[in-house]
Amino acid sequence: MKIPFSWLKDHVALTATPSQIAEDLVRLGHEVEAVEMPRAAVIGVRVGQIESKQPHPDADKLSLLKVNIGEAELVDIVCGASNMGEGDKVPVATIGTSLPNGLTIKKGKIRGAVSYGMCCSEVELGLAEDSAGLLILPVDAPIGAEVGDYLELEEAVFDLSITPNRGDCMNVRGIARDLAADAGLALAAIELGEIAINQAINAPDVAVAAEKDCPAYLARSITGIKVADSPAWMQARLIQAGQRPVNGVVDVLNTIMLDLGQPMHAFDADALDGDIVVRSAVGGEAFSALDGRELTLNTDDLLVTDSSSVIALAGIMGSAPSGVSESTTNIVLESAFFRPARISETRRVYAMVSEASMRFERGVDPAMVEVAMQRATAMIIDLFGGSASEITQCGDADKINAERSVKASVSRIQSRLGIDIPVSVDDVLVRMGFAVTRDGDKLAMTVPSFRHDISIPEDISEEYARVIGFDEIPELLPSLATTAPAMPDRSVHDAVAAGFLQVINYAFISASEQRLFVAADDLDIELENPISDAMSVMRRSVWPGLLNTARYNLNRQQSGVSLVEQGRVYYKTAAAHQESNVIAWLMSGEVEQDEWFDAARKADFFDLKGAVEAWLTLRGLTGRFIADDSIQGLQAGQSAKILVGRAEAGRIGRVDGDIASALDMDAPVYVAEINLDLLSAGKKTKFAPLPEFPGVERDLVFLFERGVSSDAILNAVKSAAGKLLIGARIFDLYDGKGVPEGFVSLGIRFALQDAKRTLTQEDSDAASQSIIAAMDKKFGATLRG
Amino acid sequence: MSEIDSLKSELESLQADALQAFSAADNLNDLQKLRVQYLGKKGALTEVLKGVGKLAPTDRPMIGQHVNKTKSALAAALDSTEADLAVKAKAARIEAERVDVTLPGRSKGKGALHPVQHGLDEITAIFSQMGFVVAEGPEIEDEFHNFDALNIPAEHPARAMHDTFFVKQMADQPMLLRTHTSPVQIRAMKRFLAEGGEPPLAVVAPGRVYRCDYDVTHSPMFHQVEVFKVDRDVSMAHLKGVLKHFLSTYFEKEVEIRLRPHYFPFTEPSAEVDIGCVFCAGKGCRICKGSGWIEVLGSGMIHPKVLESVGIDSEEFSGFAFGLGVERLVMLKQGIPDLRLFFENDVRFLSRMGVSK
Repeated sequence: MKIPFSWLKDHVALTATPSQIAEDLVRLGHEVEAVEMPRAAVIGVRVGQIESKQPHPDADKLSLLKVNIGEAELVDIVCGASNMGEGDKVPVATIGTSLPNGLTIKKGKIRGAVSYGMCCSEVELGLAEDSAGLLILPVDAPIGAEVGDYLELEEAVFDLSITPNRGDCMNVRGIARDLAADAGLALAAIELGEIAINQAINAPDVAVAAEKDCPAYLARSITGIKVADSPAWMQARLIQAGQRPVNGVVDVLNTIMLDLGQPMHAFDADALDGDIVVRSAVGGEAFSALDGRELTLNTDDLLVTDSSSVIALAGIMGSAPSGVSESTTNIVLESAFFRPARISETRRVYAMVSEASMRFERGVDPAMVEVAMQRATAMIIDLFGGSASEITQCGDADKINAERSVKASVSRIQSRLGIDIPVSVDDVLVRMGFAVTRDGDKLAMTVPSFRHDISIPEDISEEYARVIGFDEIPELLPSLATTAPAMPDRSVHDAVAAGFLQVINYAFISASEQRLFVAADDLDIELENPISDAMSVMRRSVWPGLLNTARYNLNRQQSGVSLVEQGRVYYKTAAAHQESNVIAWLMSGEVEQDEWFDAARKADFFDLKGAVEAWLTLRGLTGRFIADDSIQGLQAGQSAKILVGRAEAGRIGRVDGDIASALDMDAPVYVAEINLDLLSAGKKTKFAPLPEFPGVERDLVFLFERGVSSDAILNAVKSAAGKLLIGARIFDLYDGKGVPEGFVSLGIRFALQDAKRTLTQEDSDAASQSIIAAMDKKFGATLRG
Repeated sequence: MSEIDSLKSELESLQADALQAFSAADNLNDLQKLRVQYLGKKGALTEVLKGVGKLAPTDRPMIGQHVNKTKSALAAALDSTEADLAVKAKAARIEAERVDVTLPGRSKGKGALHPVQHGLDEITAIFSQMGFVVAEGPEIEDEFHNFDALNIPAEHPARAMHDTFFVKQMADQPMLLRTHTSPVQIRAMKRFLAEGGEPPLAVVAPGRVYRCDYDVTHSPMFHQVEVFKVDRDVSMAHLKGVLKHFLSTYFEKEVEIRLRPHYFPFTEPSAEVDIGCVFCAGKGCRICKGSGWIEVLGSGMIHPKVLESVGIDSEEFSGFAFGLGVERLVMLKQGIPDLRLFFENDVRFLSRMGVSK
């Protein structure tokens, strides 16, 4: 909300500077987004009179002006406008002046003619968004005067962000009240103006059939008005306050709303059919709103109706046909109090926000309902003529928010704030409208009608705190029990240490991305109101996000990516929903680049498998990788499930070629995923004495038929080799020249050791023989020469 | 010439030949061969000694002396040449094994933690070290925990300000993506009480949150950390103390803090927290829009209705709470200008701004 300084001063004789006032507002809890300084912004722009105007010899559209700005010599200015003539007075930006649009005036040469300044339009002075040429000033404007002073531009405009609890401050008077109370200044009385009631005019007939939602409704007829534009001062204020002038009547009502916080509405009396009834909608009724929307109303919407139609969605917006226009002569004015929650709900349902609804849903001051009606009547008659009826009054505004009191104890407030509260603060609260009674430690406050937000002792403590200023509260460290902090989750950190870059993707993906790796099964969690289709389903796999990230980067000249992401996946379960913590990896493209010591190498299955194994090892776990051709989205023959303990905790494999090529990814893409919630605590290593006797290592090379799993081979080696075996691994794999078609040559290196003695040739020979026999028996494998 | 003279001259010429051969040797192998050739069991000197037998016994000692002299002269020459050659050989080997130490070392690709992760770690660690217990909660929440229990009733204007993502009907009640980490406050307090606990309770709850808002300065998913403490006599002064300690620790310098009264439904009093601008030290710059202050988080004293909603007596206990935006703090600390960079996941950004750990 924008508040011109001069408007504030109408309510309170402030003497502080705008920047001091901005600080006070912040301390009182009103966020100051900006302080605009329209007058200071045009310092250096002076009133000048055009003494002569000649065409520019080399440019048709330019004129050479000699301008009197009250100095000894006339100023030469080259000007591109055409609406000025000799003798006209115009704003002249002199050399060195910085204009609101950021332009700084310098001496310049335009097509050979020297210019020592610039004549300005409203746009350049920051007064309007467009203009039809220079701003021609009145003939009596004093030559040489600062234009900002002459035009009485606003010294300062405060742009405030009012918190939702302070509906009472969504108007100039509310802010003025806080400032006046804080500074110990008096708040000016509201001028109601004299109104001569014309008894010959019938007051409108109004019935309120929804008293709970509309506890007070005032209406009055004004006949015989001649709607004209509102006066310049009012338009200027509305513009400064961020509103667009509409027509005289609407401008008056908007001015009063901004001034006092009471939204009002004017109906064209000649467009109404019969009596006014305020009631709840019956459902299915049609409403043509002023903003052009055609609504079908719901039961419980609060309406203002006449005999034939809905003339307003109460407190939110009037209907188009009943609105006031230039040709309106008879009006019905409405000033009311609508129940905030009612307005809030209807406003949300139709996503229809108006200046009125913002105030009603936060709660207006019941005391202003009649005051605003009187002020508006007086101003309209004063400006546009006409005569007024009596007010038709339904309900009693005085009863709203009446006699509310809050009790609190000073000692408790002090303990919650951590500061002493001087008795003197009571005076400030009294000026803010509270009636304060202190009885020892007990505090009783009567809450003013406009403070809808005060109901409990903590509200009182906030009032004291903001008056004293939060800066006065000391900084104290509380005593905290020292607890043993839980070991932080190192999952992603360990992957990062192994060379992976951590990424964070959105938790929602598109429905088609979801289907890449998860079959359709009604367990997806979809968003009701997604940002877009691309972000409409909660992910059940991290892989789609990783794939997108990989593609994004491979398209940006990265030769390879190694990515890791930790986060949740989401899916429905029979009873509710499940969020699982997962870690996922992706490798694609070069894992090793061309180097002086080695050639580039692209990632393969075993790069990623190695990373996952190493990661598991760090947590004291081992994984068994079981070939699984049925994992959706992964290529058969290069995919496996990962068993950790008894749990099927993860999956790994190469992304199906069709999926990768649909994403224009040429290099093979490998992904893995582990569900962290399924991992058990790792084994704790126990101490074992170091061996005293040397062990032996032997190599055996066999020809196996293709397709035998190395897991099975090593298991067979382990059971065959006897209890001296301490390890066995595949050290060589070869299927090139010399190996028959359909076979592979596998080298097995095994190690034997005994804790009690040095091994002999016989020991290793015996182990070798039983391994050879087992390989033959189990796999038909033969020893290679 | 007598036998003696002839032997003498034979020894002399042998010595001369040997010394010349030694000095000509340019490697230890050759020198070893020469040692054998001259001093070995079947070497030249032994051959000469064979001639001694032909001498008269009286002459033998003299020739013997000559032979020994020659032998030790040759041995000394061999030793010294060998030492020289060893030095040379080592020097040659060193030269041959010289590498360009400026060539890059062999290394694996460098990983990096996402800057937001690092921020979360840092923030959580600071509170953890202060004695706050880490807690987490679900991201798909119900309206009770996200709103109602936090004193944000359905018709409240603040509820609309949350730009909530709702999920399509799946349970018996409307579910949503939590708009803040404050519901963990409710869940942690309920769990704590259910387990028979009694305040004090101090919790730090990091996590992902969602708002239906997507533009240059808003991301539909971001990270928050909720911090709260409930105990007897917790005051706003404690809130300020914890904030000051946290923010100074996080920004690695003493920062000024300023609390401004504000409105949040779940705290009363409520305050926005500013820090003295970390870029211009409060002088006023582009980042702080000339004010010298930067807004970093929202805070306040836990609203009594929030305490009552979980069954904590608000007469006896009070608490403070605040919630901070991780991305915002990381942007301020690392000078990252654009929120969108965090979720674009450009590896050039991640490698540069991420943290290797």
